[in-house]
Amino acid sequence: MGVGTIAIDRQKGRRSWVIHLFPLPALVIYALFVVYPIFSAFTYSLYDWQGIKRGVFVGLKNFTTLFTVEPFNEMFWNAFSHNLLYFVVEMIVQNGIAFTLAFFIYRKIRGAGFLKVAYFIPRLLSVIVVGFLWKLIFNPNYGALNTFLTKVGLAEWAKPWLGDPDTALLAIILVNCWFGVGFAMLIFLAGLQSIPEELIEAARLDGARGVTLLWKIILPLCMPAITIMTIFTFIQAFEAFELVYAMQGSMGEPFYSTDTLAVYFYRMAFSSAGGGDVSIGLGSALAVVLFLIVASVSALSLYLMRKREVQH
Amino acid sequence: MKQFRFHAVASVLLAAAMALTGCSGGGDAAKPSEPGSTPSGSQGGGTKQVTLSMHSWRVEDTEGYAKIIKAFEAENPNIKIDFKPFKATEYNTILNTALQSDSGPDILQLRPYAAGTALAGAGYLEPLDSLPGITNFPKDVLAGATGKDGKVYGVPLSLSTTQFYYNKKIFEQNGLKEPKSWDELIATAKTLKEKGIVPISFGAKEGWLLSLSHGVIAPASLKDGYIDKLMKGESDLKSPEFLKSVQRMQELIPYFPENYVGLELNDMRTLFATEKTAMFINGSFELEGIKKLNPDLQLDIFPMPTDDGKSVITTWVDGSYAVNAKSKHKQEALKFMEFMTTKKFAEMFANELKMISAMPGVPLQDPLLNKMAELSQSSSTPYLMIVHFSEGNPTTKKTLENSLQGMYLNKLTPEQVADEVQKSAATWFAPFKK
Repeated sequence: MGVGTIAIDRQKGRRSWVIHLFPLPALVIYALFVVYPIFSAFTYSLYDWQGIKRGVFVGLKNFTTLFTVEPFNEMFWNAFSHNLLYFVVEMIVQNGIAFTLAFFIYRKIRGAGFLKVAYFIPRLLSVIVVGFLWKLIFNPNYGALNTFLTKVGLAEWAKPWLGDPDTALLAIILVNCWFGVGFAMLIFLAGLQSIPEELIEAARLDGARGVTLLWKIILPLCMPAITIMTIFTFIQAFEAFELVYAMQGSMGEPFYSTDTLAVYFYRMAFSSAGGGDVSIGLGSALAVVLFLIVASVSALSLYLMRKREVQH
Repeated sequence: MKQFRFHAVASVLLAAAMALTGCSGGGDAAKPSEPGSTPSGSQGGGTKQVTLSMHSWRVEDTEGYAKIIKAFEAENPNIKIDFKPFKATEYNTILNTALQSDSGPDILQLRPYAAGTALAGAGYLEPLDSLPGITNFPKDVLAGATGKDGKVYGVPLSLSTTQFYYNKKIFEQNGLKEPKSWDELIATAKTLKEKGIVPISFGAKEGWLLSLSHGVIAPASLKDGYIDKLMKGESDLKSPEFLKSVQRMQELIPYFPENYVGLELNDMRTLFATEKTAMFINGSFELEGIKKLNPDLQLDIFPMPTDDGKSVITTWVDGSYAVNAKSKHKQEALKFMEFMTTKKFAEMFANELKMISAMPGVPLQDPLLNKMAELSQSSSTPYLMIVHFSEGNPTTKKTLENSLQGMYLNKLTPEQVADEVQKSAATWFAPFKK
């Protein structure tokens, strides 16, 4: 009897020891391709670069240049404000629509299964494809949008959407909302479906209906999904790059109206095709700042919002 | 049995992990065999067979280079050349990384002016002044590949020109001729507009096309000697001459297509090739593209008419080839450079790749290209922003592009454009710093 249990224990012990090795490949890859580049970007940002040649150690000079010297400081805050707009519009438009859709599907309206798939379909396309597709739709000459507006008698509304600084960024953000709404909906739907049916039943018995039920019962219970989606949206908004690049290139054109921090970084660190120096030091400093913004805000909001979540 | 399986899986994963870390740790040590320059053959004796690697950003020229390289290899049987082009927008990154890790190619295509010669400043390039054939090129052509130290680092390849393309058929149908002055140009555009034809294919969405168009328009209002004064710091970019060039860019607005602020090169080219517009300001490098879209187009060009009754075509040296200072086969690479300075190479280059050779007097089969080449010898003017103002961060060229965009969007006045450009140049251009 005693011998038998020892054998099982030993086997168990060995198993649990082996299990600890399993994350190793992932950790190694993570260290190599994420942690190491972050640290090297940080070291790069402390040097003065002459073109592609590393010059002398200058401490935090690149960072002060970024924030105090024209035009870098203007461009930074300009891009930063665009990221912020990205976040706000995505929270309201993308997540608002996504939650409404998720709510209707959760309430099992007719064709819920079909709608779930239909809303998710844009997500299946590559961001680059989405960018080119919408670029064609927005084309001022033959694009579908202007053609449509003209056909329905709103010809004065037709405009060069991506060439006008007043509409270019908003057009890109709305495309991003269209692209991201399906994913957000799935997250919200999962949150809604995890609410125990008894709680809602109990609330109904207590007389909660419609808005009260949604506001007082469903939304608070859905907070974990909302927290996650808010943080996702924030990270996505502050790393906005692919769609902007696909639709407008790396110059933030027109007139820096579509510049985001990531596009600004890319232009500064890599894009010298038009001549002139690439600024690896400044680019790295910007990358570090971007990393700090995203990491600290995400961590802080995760901490604060977790506190307010309702347990069930 | 189960236990064994766990062990097997664990050891495979561990081995994989080790292999991965091994890769990163020994990265530098594992790289001594440079890609491209394979030192094949014995060191003992006999003819040494050498393969040179050659990097370029002209993927579209691969076939043309294959023929040129074949001709070189026939004359030099012991040298093989491995031509490897990369996507233009990624070329700089690829080349820079390779050079930094000492695994660069033996021969590399060099971006023109400051962008390319910055590599020389960093010590990556071999000076070519002692190359006998280098004297076949005029000094202003060599300027495109001359470093800050005054040494030549590249063999110039081609000349780009920018000018007005125009649709001969539309011009004839409306009784129009090539304009000989700014007023005639405006009158021509006016006539076309009255007839319901969009005069100029133009778009303001892509900045580089704005500085390029400015490069064509500006020289007409910059009097002879202005550029010399500018270079000495006796005049600046806020001067009336330069301001006038910006105002002229504005003066053209009524003759652009509708919604032109949202149009990019593709749209502009299509409008012109489908005969919806009569004129198109662009470079010699666009000729092939326009012809491909509409081979029946009756195409011609005219250079910019100047205020003193002449006409000028805007030119710059577009790229050159250089030798990696750390190449293991410098002698062989220099031999290829020598070949690139010959008339034979220039003729093959011009006709195979349909570009204007940087070597003077090389005839071209395409009559229109030949016209550009001839004009570039008789009445050319440098593309100011590329040749003289392509430095700074952001470059003065980019600043001009952005400010012009601002002007077309009614956010800046021509005076503010000139101010911005001057401000940018003053951050790096020594004569303005005083």
